[in-house]
Amino acid sequence: MRLAKRFRSGAAARLGRGRTLRFHRGRPTRAALAGVLAGVLALSGCSLLGDDSGDSPASGGTAAPHATDGAGQDVPYDVTPLLKPAKKYFGASVPGAPTSMKNVDAYTRMTGKQPNLVEYYAGWGDGFDATGVRNAWAEGALTLMSWEPFDTSLADIAAGESDAYLKEYATAVRKLNLPVVIDFADEFNGHWEKWGTKDVTPAQYVAAWRHIHQTFVDAGATNVIWAWSPNIVNPVPDVKLKPYYPGDAYVDWVGLIGYFTAGEDNSFDSVFGTTRDRVRTFTKKPILLLETGAVPGERRRADIRNLFAGVAADDDMLGFIWFNHKKRADWRLEASPLALKEFKRLAADDRFGFDVRKPS
Amino acid sequence: MSSRPEYYVPQPYDPYADDDPQGGWFNSDGFVPRRSQGYETAQGQVTPQGHAAPEGYDAPQGHVAPQGYDAPQAHDAAQGYDYDPRTSPYQQQDDQPTYALHTVAEPAAPAEPGYTVPETPEVGWDMAASRRRAWVSRAVLLFVLAVQAVLSLRLSNTAFQDEALYLAAGHAELQHLLHGTPLPIDYGAYFSGSPQLYPVLAAAVDGRFGLTGARVLSLAFMLGTTALLYSFTRRLFNERAALAGAALFAVVQSTIVMGYFATYDAAAVFLLALATWIVVRTDRAPVAAVLLAAPVAVLAVGVKYAAALYLPTIVVLALLTGWPHKGRKAFLRMLLLALGIGALLAAGMYSTDLLAGVRQTTTNRAHGSDSAAFLLQRSAQWGGLMFLTAVGGALSYVRRSRMNESPAAQRLGNPGWRWRALLGLVLCGTALLAPAYQMHLGTVVSLFKHVGFGLLFAAPMAGVGVTRLIGAHFRYPQLGIMLWTATLCLGIQQADWRFGVWPDSSKMIQVIDSHVDRKGHYLASTPEVPVYYLRDKTSHRQWQGVFALEYTDRKGTYHKGDAAYRAALRDGEFDLIVLDGLTNPRVDGVVAAAVKGNPHYRLLADLPFRNSSGTGHYRIWVKTA
Repeated sequence: MRLAKRFRSGAAARLGRGRTLRFHRGRPTRAALAGVLAGVLALSGCSLLGDDSGDSPASGGTAAPHATDGAGQDVPYDVTPLLKPAKKYFGASVPGAPTSMKNVDAYTRMTGKQPNLVEYYAGWGDGFDATGVRNAWAEGALTLMSWEPFDTSLADIAAGESDAYLKEYATAVRKLNLPVVIDFADEFNGHWEKWGTKDVTPAQYVAAWRHIHQTFVDAGATNVIWAWSPNIVNPVPDVKLKPYYPGDAYVDWVGLIGYFTAGEDNSFDSVFGTTRDRVRTFTKKPILLLETGAVPGERRRADIRNLFAGVAADDDMLGFIWFNHKKRADWRLEASPLALKEFKRLAADDRFGFDVRKPS
Repeated sequence: MSSRPEYYVPQPYDPYADDDPQGGWFNSDGFVPRRSQGYETAQGQVTPQGHAAPEGYDAPQGHVAPQGYDAPQAHDAAQGYDYDPRTSPYQQQDDQPTYALHTVAEPAAPAEPGYTVPETPEVGWDMAASRRRAWVSRAVLLFVLAVQAVLSLRLSNTAFQDEALYLAAGHAELQHLLHGTPLPIDYGAYFSGSPQLYPVLAAAVDGRFGLTGARVLSLAFMLGTTALLYSFTRRLFNERAALAGAALFAVVQSTIVMGYFATYDAAAVFLLALATWIVVRTDRAPVAAVLLAAPVAVLAVGVKYAAALYLPTIVVLALLTGWPHKGRKAFLRMLLLALGIGALLAAGMYSTDLLAGVRQTTTNRAHGSDSAAFLLQRSAQWGGLMFLTAVGGALSYVRRSRMNESPAAQRLGNPGWRWRALLGLVLCGTALLAPAYQMHLGTVVSLFKHVGFGLLFAAPMAGVGVTRLIGAHFRYPQLGIMLWTATLCLGIQQADWRFGVWPDSSKMIQVIDSHVDRKGHYLASTPEVPVYYLRDKTSHRQWQGVFALEYTDRKGTYHKGDAAYRAALRDGEFDLIVLDGLTNPRVDGVVAAAVKGNPHYRLLADLPFRNSSGTGHYRIWVKTA
């Protein structure tokens, strides 16, 4: 029994050795191949996850190439049809709008026509009122924001002191992806504003404007219409406008601020003509009466008639924004019922007002 | 083994060892010699002849009856009486027939055996092709093709600039052919293949089924290529090598991408594969039959000029495949094919005016600045694994020609090692042609596709390599599986990367759509893409690319190069500018700088995109003044 066992185990051992021997002969090359293949597998696995781009110097991780990018869920809003629409802008600045559209609706009822441009004022440092812009848009109106740097000097803005704010703002505007008109530091040619002629040189003004514009462009906020807005030159005839002009590359509209006031001839040309002519010496950009009104009183009816006629007559006039506030004077339409009636009659003209969501 | 001292060791399972050295178990007359005491033999026990278990016979003391085997007790011999009543001749005297008293006509025929062991064939299967084998391999091939189709179809992106160019050109050529509309530009002058062949076909498909249709056409070409590859590899070697070669070829980057890429390449590869197939298929046919391959091969060159690089391989294959069957007549075959191809090529060149295009795009192509090491590295990445497999297969094939486990295969007449070496050299060497030529040109452009052209020829050898790796009787299937999986992983990853190199242009097209008309003059990094997508309202003539510009400004001054871009933009020459920052970043920089602060232009959109090399963005300016 012992012998048999030994025999068996001996045979097994021999057999086993034989097999191992045979294995060993073919094995090293195959084992090496297997190793190489495993390596290749591991490598290809790694590069599936890792960065494998050597082609481009700007390599930044290989992600799924067709994943939709977070920043651009939609195509950026093309504002070009709004730059010079066939019809006139019929704008209004009313208190509380466009955050609340209550007063806009009241204005609509009062004038019989829905404003398609709503102006509001924002301080430098305020957040972007995306909700307001959406509210106005929902009623077919474009929002114009007058951005007023009360606490920051234009030189600081130009030097990039508020870049963090500016970038955040630009990104918010881009994200909204609805057209917005921005008018920065208006009435810069007046001595009465903090950013006016007393404190800011034309070069500083231009530098700040271009810096802001460039920041928006860099952020891809192409949905902004830039309105460069001097006061009419009548009260400050000596201040030259051209040095303040940032250039056609940075401006879409020229926005004029001017009122029909007492003690002055009330023809359209007397109020806006001089400024328009001066502006036309350096740019052909279309002009918007960005802020206008007429002093209450007997003459307001005629002023309003002149306003509508003047805007309608000039193809380069985009329209106007009625300043419907009681501020220093009562500019509100409801202050003069007769004038309001005339306003209502003229506003009914089909050339004024259109749905900005469907221009042309 | 031979160095061991020779001494006798009883081999336990040696079938030829002597069963019983004492002179046999059974005697001729049925007498069984007496065995020693204690040995129990049961009636009816049949010890099979040839039973060689040594236990028990050589050591009776240790004999143990097999379990469950109970010998009847009655037959046990009495203790101490050393004879067996069953076997003692004296006990059975009266039972023996007395031959002397009978007349026996003839001795009884030997009894029919209870069963017969059939003649054992040398091999248990037939080496020759059979219907079943054909269908099994076709089923596997179908699976390979399905994998290839899935890999190609899962790719997605908008048209690459080359696709856009060929399709747009095809549409223009179609219009020209059908309605005589003049061509916007002379495509023939700078195309790398005839604009009248593939582009027209692809545009016809595109017109009906869109870009996806044109890409599926390429998929059909590539699936056809794989099927042809299978077929001629089967003819050259066997099914197994053919399937392995096809399986590898189906999953490399070039095959996956070309199978969903509306360019010449898929059609050209297909035609090359068809020409090769004809050459291999006619190996036993009359010599003249090889001429069938000539028009196909020339058509391949017409479709894509660079396909000419592979014609020598096909011509040499005409010799090699014919040699085992025809001997010296194979040289005639080769010569005939070469002359046929040459004549058709000459006729083609003479009758068309494509030579200039050939010169510019293929032979005299502008030399790039990509280093040889870079190109080598890229080629290795894209086809290295399969190429190494092919080289391994070729080496192994030179060493041993047998392609079948069947011992019968050994008796087949095998081509000599020189033939095998030459075949391996030609097939593997062809894979090196494109990388070598591109190193000469110094450009990586299209290399990934051209690597695929070469791999088509290396694939049969790669198939041999895989079968040799797996070994006879599927001994190491895991190695083959690992190799294929590695190739697959690399293929998928590289194909995904490749299809993500260019940005998705759908948003860009959406943005510029309303700014493009029949009159404008436009500048774009890749004009082909908008020209293709907006072909209903714009033509190639209106678009300017970012590689060369000649411009005469309003004052009549002539500019070229970067200065031309600056001058043209200063004048507001272009109505729309579309930059992608990828195609020619240097000129993009020049243009962007010229547009900054330019009163004519307004940024229309900044469209971020993700591509294989990270992120980028389209910048689109529109002329507003």
